[in-house]
Amino acid sequence: MNSQTTKVLSLLVGAILIATLPFWAGDQYQLHLAALIAVYWILIAGLNLVVGFTGQLSIGHVGLLSIGSYTFAILAGKMGVDPTLSVFVSGLLGGLCGLALGLPSLRLPGFYFAMATMAFSMIVNEIVLAQVDLTGGGIGLPGPMFPKPFDSPIGFYYLVTAIALFVTWLTWNIARRMWGRAFISIRDNPVAAQAVGVPVFKAKLLAFVFSGITAGVSGAVFASLQSYITPDTFVFELSMFFFVCIIIGGRGSIIGPFLGTVVLTALPELVSPLAKLGNFFYGLLLLVVVLVVPEGIGRMFEIISERLRPRIVHREPITPDLNRLAKALKGHE
Amino acid sequence: MLTVIVTGLAIGMLYASIALVYNVMFSTSKVLSVTTGHLSMVGGVFGAYIISVLQMHWLWGLLGAVLAGATFGWLTDVLAIRRVLARSDEHLWLLSTLALATMVQQGVGLWWGTEPKPFPRLITQEFGAGLMDQKFWLPIGMAIVMTIGLEFFYRKTMYGKVFIAMSEDAFAARARGVSTDKIRLLSYVLSGALGGLAGFAAGQLTFAFFALGHTLTLLGFIALAVGGLGSNIGALIGGAALGLLNSFASYYFGGEYQQTIAVGLLMVVLLIKPEGLLGAKNVRPV
Repeated sequence: MNSQTTKVLSLLVGAILIATLPFWAGDQYQLHLAALIAVYWILIAGLNLVVGFTGQLSIGHVGLLSIGSYTFAILAGKMGVDPTLSVFVSGLLGGLCGLALGLPSLRLPGFYFAMATMAFSMIVNEIVLAQVDLTGGGIGLPGPMFPKPFDSPIGFYYLVTAIALFVTWLTWNIARRMWGRAFISIRDNPVAAQAVGVPVFKAKLLAFVFSGITAGVSGAVFASLQSYITPDTFVFELSMFFFVCIIIGGRGSIIGPFLGTVVLTALPELVSPLAKLGNFFYGLLLLVVVLVVPEGIGRMFEIISERLRPRIVHREPITPDLNRLAKALKGHE
Repeated sequence: MLTVIVTGLAIGMLYASIALVYNVMFSTSKVLSVTTGHLSMVGGVFGAYIISVLQMHWLWGLLGAVLAGATFGWLTDVLAIRRVLARSDEHLWLLSTLALATMVQQGVGLWWGTEPKPFPRLITQEFGAGLMDQKFWLPIGMAIVMTIGLEFFYRKTMYGKVFIAMSEDAFAARARGVSTDKIRLLSYVLSGALGGLAGFAAGQLTFAFFALGHTLTLLGFIALAVGGLGSNIGALIGGAALGLLNSFASYYFGGEYQQTIAVGLLMVVLLIKPEGLLGAKNVRPV
């Protein structure tokens, strides 16, 4: 069995597992958890392009998630706009806010950029708390349900999974073509990238606005999934969680952060002592990964598999033809 | 009006102290640590714990806060900085210090509780003292003492000069026989002690609250960026400007938009004078 068939086979198994999950999931709560993973993945898939591929350490995406959520809750809940349309508006607004945040902050180097995005998430929370008439302040807003086929937990699960798959397909397309190469070159060496003609700022902005759109869409379905949102939902630690998922999964890959999201969302729910530690556990995990395998867990698997099944290196020893050499040397004289 | 100015100066001086702590760490390692604000948080919480819970004299509380901060500073270097600097990837220290900051914040939250708890009075004083209240003058005095002390340390002592040498050129300092690893560790312990001290002095203003860290990290960084990276006087000016701006803004527009205004100040300074008010031109980070 070569690696191509393995890949196709594992993809097929994964697709079947995802499609049939409502039928073998034990209870409603596990289905809710699966939907939550899909919702988080919508955001993380976009953020992965910024953090994992372009190397811009944004720790403020919870602000964009919050904007998407409140847009959806206000439009679909308070004003009675069609929920499907509201999702699009949430994504659009998320993209616009990503543009507004990215235009000044993407020019800043590492730590400055991280601080600017962190400040952005704090500002969003502050404005949400202050604008009581619009957002309900500290009391919060109910997140409306989707219309008919998607109003049950199973229907909702299929809806978010479809969106998540679509977003994954988009990011996969971006990541393996021209723009993806440009992103990776910016992450690894911005000066060299500029020297070979990559529009550095434009590429960064593109990745960031795309992640803003996915964050907005993710926020909209997040509001519907949680059914009630308050400013306390969008704490800074949630941003940290998104970030940890990507770093643990490994930079520059799509499947790695996806596994990171699944494991990190499910683990604290299934192993109850971890839930009590919560963010302490995420911090510890991040520290261990950064110190031990900075390339992410995905790289660790590669190393282990190489140990188990070493690549066969063909050795072609060169035996010198001494007679010919001697003849050639003699001929010269 | 005078109240607004004094309140603003007091909170601004706390930001200035944190900016000073950033400077101490940055001078030897060129790292801006996310744990900086958490150092002060730890100082405040430990001070409150020793005085209120253990019922000991406030001098012991001061000692405990400084020791807790210094230990945390030492841990920062050992866990989050040492191995990462050896790898020479500039993004990694941001991740490792962020991870450590989160762990300490959650650890303190689990142990101390998630509610802000009042910080005890250090000097017996009436609560109606108004402008002369110790909660305003302690952080202001502490920041000024810290600045003078640091300037003295940098100019008059051997270790201070070694710090400056390392901030100018770490490789050259190493070539001249300076044990750069030891000096960096020393600077982290020193910055931890200073951070603990600042958190202790401003405890009555901020309360002993586990979630202060990230806010202080951000606002201290803004004070630093406004004043100029690497300059101690600049840190004082930046902190004062930020604190005054915040208190005047909440006086005129209400207190809801404090962070927004602080970040607005940062953006304006970065646009007009990217190296900060007193920052050196050649270390232009933007």
